[in-house]
Order: sequence, then C-alpha cells, then structure tokens
Amino acid sequence: MKSDKDDRPDLSMDRRKFLSSATAAGAATLIGAGKTSAQEEMSQVDGPVEPPSAAQLQMEDEIPEGYSADQAQDYFVKSPGSDFMLDVIKKIGIDYVTTNPGSSFRGIHESIVNYGGNQAPELLTSVHEEQATAMAHGYYKASGKPLIPLVHGTVGLQHACMAVYNAWSDRVPMIILAGNHMNVTDRRAGSEWAHSAQDCIRVVRDYIKWDDQPVSLQHFSESMARAWKIAMTPPRGPVAIAIDGHLQEGERGDKKLRIPGLAPTQPPIGEDGAIAEAARMLVEAENPIIVVDLMAHDQTGIERLVELAESIQAPVVNQYGRMNFPNRHHLSQGSGVIAEADVILCLELNDTWGTINTMRDRVHREARRRARSDAKVIDIGVKDLFIKSNYQNFQRYYASDLSIAGDGQATLPSLTEAVRSAMKRSRRSSNSERESRWQREHKRSYVKTLDAARYAWDASPISTARLFSEIWQVAKDRDWSLVSDDKLKSGWGTRLWPMSKHYHYLGRSGAGGVGYGAPAAVGAALALRDRGILPINVQADGDMMFSPGAFWTAAHHNIPLLTVTHNNLGYHQENMHLQRMSVRRRRGTDGNSLIGNELRNPDIDLAKIVEGMGVWSSGPIHDPKDLGPALVKAMDVIDQGEPAFIDCICQPR
Amino acid sequence: MTQVRKCLFFTLLGLALLFPHVAFAQESESDVSSGKALYDSFQCWQCHGYEGQGGRSGPRIAQTAYPYSVFAIFVRYTNLMPAYSPDVLSDAQLRDIYEFVRSIPAPPALEEISKLDFE
Repeated sequence: MKSDKDDRPDLSMDRRKFLSSATAAGAATLIGAGKTSAQEEMSQVDGPVEPPSAAQLQMEDEIPEGYSADQAQDYFVKSPGSDFMLDVIKKIGIDYVTTNPGSSFRGIHESIVNYGGNQAPELLTSVHEEQATAMAHGYYKASGKPLIPLVHGTVGLQHACMAVYNAWSDRVPMIILAGNHMNVTDRRAGSEWAHSAQDCIRVVRDYIKWDDQPVSLQHFSESMARAWKIAMTPPRGPVAIAIDGHLQEGERGDKKLRIPGLAPTQPPIGEDGAIAEAARMLVEAENPIIVVDLMAHDQTGIERLVELAESIQAPVVNQYGRMNFPNRHHLSQGSGVIAEADVILCLELNDTWGTINTMRDRVHREARRRARSDAKVIDIGVKDLFIKSNYQNFQRYYASDLSIAGDGQATLPSLTEAVRSAMKRSRRSSNSERESRWQREHKRSYVKTLDAARYAWDASPISTARLFSEIWQVAKDRDWSLVSDDKLKSGWGTRLWPMSKHYHYLGRSGAGGVGYGAPAAVGAALALRDRGILPINVQADGDMMFSPGAFWTAAHHNIPLLTVTHNNLGYHQENMHLQRMSVRRRRGTDGNSLIGNELRNPDIDLAKIVEGMGVWSSGPIHDPKDLGPALVKAMDVIDQGEPAFIDCICQPR
Repeated sequence: MTQVRKCLFFTLLGLALLFPHVAFAQESESDVSSGKALYDSFQCWQCHGYEGQGGRSGPRIAQTAYPYSVFAIFVRYTNLMPAYSPDVLSDAQLRDIYEFVRSIPAPPALEEISKLDFE
C-alpha cells in the first residue's frame, strides 16, 4: 500500500526553502559567536540545498506573470505564517504529526505537505482525533519522543478529549495543536464560527499541564519551545497550543522572527538529607521491598533499579505502568511480599494508598491495611509536584513516613550510593542469604505460573495462557515489544514472556479510557518500525470497536504491527460488575448480566472489518490448534512491512 | 503458611462451625451435565473461565480439592466472591456445579506442552 507521499511530486526543496536556508545561513554567521549551547538560536533549515527549477523561480517572483501588483497581493501569499510555524516544529524535532484533516488548520497542513515536503514531520492520517492522540501516546512510550496531534480547536479537540485524559493519567507528553479562528471579523459565516471558540483549549485544561493561544508568530515560536519544555519535564504530560487560522494563512511579514533554542529542564532529584534517611531505613530494615510503577523512562531506569535492588537484595513489585524491572530477575516478586515488609520503598507510584491498603468490592466498603501495621513507607516520585483538582485520577491520600519529591529514575543513583555508604559489613554479608531466599521464591512462583498455564490448554474458546504461548512461538527468535496492556488477559504476557528491555512492555492506557488499544499500538509500531522490533498487540474486542480505524492508518502508512485479538465477545469487566450487582440483590443471576454487555447476535467479524481497511487478516479462530499456523502466515505479512491481524475467540480472562 | 492463607484457614474453620447445616450437609446425588449447564447459566465462567481454569479475576476451581462443604462456604459466606444465597442458587444446584468442576479433566502435564517453554 502506498503512502500519501508516493504519488506526489518531490517538493522537499523548493525556492522558498532554498531562500530561507540561504538567509538562515547568513543569519547564523552573524549571530553565531558568543552564544551558549543551551541558548543558541537555531538555524532555520538544515540539510543540503539544491537550486530551484525555472518553474519554481517563476512561482516565487514577487509578481507572477500576467498579474498586476495589486492582483498579486490579493490572490497570493508569498510567505505564509504557517511555513514559519513548521520551521519551529522541525526545530523542536517532531517526527510525525497525527491528524484528521480540518479547515481550521489548513494553512499548516499545506505547509507540512508542500513547504516541508511531508518529512520530519510527516503527516499521518487518522480517521478520528481520539486515534490521532492515542497514536501519539503509543509513539512516546516506544520512543521517548513526543508527537503533535493536530486537531480542530472545537470539534476535533472534543473528539480527542478521552485520549488526552489517558495521556495525562499515564504521564505521557505530547504537544496538541488546535486550529482556531480568533478574530470574529475574519471568520467566514458557517463552519468557521461553529469551529471556533473563545477559549478552545478549555475542554481539556483539567488534564493537561499547560496551554497557550499565541497572537503572533513570535509568540507561537516561544510558546512551542515552552510547550516542549513543560511537556518533557517530569512529571511529563500533554500540553496544548491553539493556532490561529489567520496567523497560519496570512503573510509572515518582514518582521524578523526568532526560534528560541530548546532548554531541557533537568529532572528534579530528591534532597540529599532525605535520601540519606531513606537509605538508612532501607539498610536497617529486616524485610525491605520496592514497589514501582511509572518510573523507568528508558533502559537506564531499569538498570538503575536493578543496581539498587541488588545492593540490598530487596524484592521488587512491578505494577507495570512502565517496564521497570526484568521479570526473570530473582528479585522480581509478586505483590504478596508487601504483607511481610517492614520498609516499603514506593517509586513513582500513582497510588500509594492502594498499594498499602485494599478495599474490596463489597456492599459495605471497608479499607483493610495490606501492609504490616508497623511497616514504614518511603515515597519517591513527582506526583506531588503537579496535581489538578477536578479529575480524581490522583487516588486516595496516603501519609507516607518519608515523602521525597524527585524523579524516580533521576534519584536512583544517589539513593543507591547512599545505601551502599550506609551498609555495614554484617548487613552486606546477609545479602547472600537474602539472595538465596528470593531465588527460591522466584523459582517457586514461576513454576506455579507455568502450572496454571496448563489449565484449559486445549479449550475452545482459547485460553489466554495458550494465546500468549502461541504468539511467543513466532516472537521468541526476534526482537519484540508487547505494545498492549495484558492486565485483563490475566497478565500472561508479563508472567510468561521473559522481559528485560524497556520496550518489551509498554504498560497501560493511564485512565482506562476505552479505545486506546489499537491506535496506541499503531503509534508504538510506528516508533518501532525503523528499529526492526516486532510490535505485538493483543487487542481486546470491545476496545477495538471504539477505534478500529487505526488499522486503516497502519495499512495506509505501511506500519507493520502484529495484532491478535483477545476476543471474549463482550465487555467482560462490565459483565462481571452486573453479575455482582445481581447477586447482591438476589435476582437475575442466571443470565441477565449479559444484557447490555455482550457483543453477540450478530457476532462481530473483526477480521472482515480490518480486511475492509486493507489489512491482511485471519479468523475468527476458535480452535487453538489453528492459531499457530495463522500466526506463521501473519509473520510473512509483517516481514513485508505490512500490518497483520488475527481474530481469536478467547476465554473471558 | 502466609498471613493470607492463615487468615483464610481460620475463616473457613469458623464459618464451618457457624453454618453446620452447610458444612456438614448430607451429600445427595448430583448430576455433572446439569452442573455444566448451571455453571454456564449462572455464569461462574465470568471469573473462573469456561473450564474452571481461573485467572486474575478468580481462582482455579477445576478439579477442586475442597470438599463440597468448604466449596459451598466459599460460594455463600466468605465474601471473597459475590455471595450466592440459596434463594438464587439452591443447594442442589450448587452441588451439581461442584460435581461438574470436580469432573473437569486434568490438563496435559507440563512436560507434554512444548510451547510452555519461555527460556
């Protein structure tokens, strides 16, 4: 399948770009001396410059042939403001812009495809703004780089809202650009009014870090640099900029415009005295443990946590907001260890209270402490550095014994060093005994996991353990990434597959907003495409029906992605909730909980849906024996650089 | 024995003494096929899977080692799962379900499943 750019003339270096690069080169010569690297102004255009063609020269004339000066001024725009906006975006280093097209940003849309040659950033076509935003979410988690979802400031941003909330809750940065027409005397009647707002970012302001509505191109330039900085500073999160239609479409003007340099903020690190106290508590503890959630930004985070855990031989409970710790390391343990700990180090937990306590779903909700009553809790993370009021994703308040504001990954080296300094010989010598204990526990737990995976092995619908085991057969000899959450699949991915790389598991949606799976998987697959890593998406059926169009985007842009559905023919979580309500009320327990929750009669042919969008597909597969051969065929498609999809009818969990 | 298991053991022991009519009820004839139908219609599979294999939502109950009396206490009185009272699930129905889950065939041995090798 061809991408947008295949059939179009190469406009990557037109006259305008040639001139701007030449101008920039001159300007760089003039201003180059005396700048520090962090504050250095960016040159406008990099790369080789080719001379313009005769036709391009003619197009760039002040007054095109056959027009008067007044006519030329009336009919044409020589240097549109959105070209400069694109220069800014390029300098920030944005690889892709995800969008569903809209007139409020037609100016910058044109600049991306013509002035920028649709390269760095390349425009990716989504069929819904929620998908465009979730793609940016998945892309960041696989690459560590933010993308730009480009949306209508009103209806487009309204569509994107839930995906923005997911990103906010998952601490994922992105820079949302929202088209808007601010000047009322400048709007066409009709849609330009309906698609404009006095304060278009307001609908998402409760769950973004920052926003602005620039009134000039220079204002835009500086706000974009600020937007990048704020989004990428822990706690990371989405930001938004409204881009005025007139600013995009009008002349850039003669005024000199600057693009400020990026000045990344170093992540906050825990205060030395508090770190020393945390180290003392950990070293003196009989049973210290580490619980970790949204900590590792990259592989370095994993390595640092291994260092700390090994230094005191403390078990690590990964809540899998990120891939934080190798799951085959002997210190990787289940949450049961929390009950035995006397000191609990919480690293970037979003929910410390819910880690230390439980509240079961019963008629009378009573909290019960899961940890020992005398257990001390150390909380290290950035969650207290930025919090908003309305949406309650920050979870219940917990009074930790020692709270340290600091980025978990950035704080780990000083904590590990402090721990090593605080360790006496006797404590150090106990490590081998601790190591043996956790090795035994880890082995016992893994054997138990394998034993559990045997049950329903040959069942139809296919067991979720069998599903992950079959997928492993085609993944095990490659570099791979599980780009989807496995929690509602009984966690078989993180329990069975050996995971040690940061990209081996990308975690959850953040807020549980349904419709995240497919587009986030496509975004992650895009990031992994050039690294030769196989992206694996185990896709829930209910989630998929919110955003199936993401598979068209994968086909259209040649993004290889292996998708296998965990198709349990309904909204199973809600099925269980309704059954629970029925049982409590002692009525309708023999079947009514399917009403409103099942996706049957007719059963949805998911394979046919994606086939209709140009994606190779197979299924529905009911017999587990048919899954392996289908996966082998799917891998042939993947190896040709295309997405492949298998619909697999599965057990509920 | 972990704290959780200890707690569970004493809870069950206490409940057995509190509800002797369930814990020590006379066993009656039961029907595996009826139990399968009831397992499906009462949607035990929602948490325990169609084959009783269990998962993150509920424990494995296939081939349960518990005697019926303890099984019944779990279903009716522990609050570890939604409590199915006798007026929505009779003792006879529960016993049939119990016989069904006990009758679920054993899975293949680990050594017989080559695909359960992730090294």
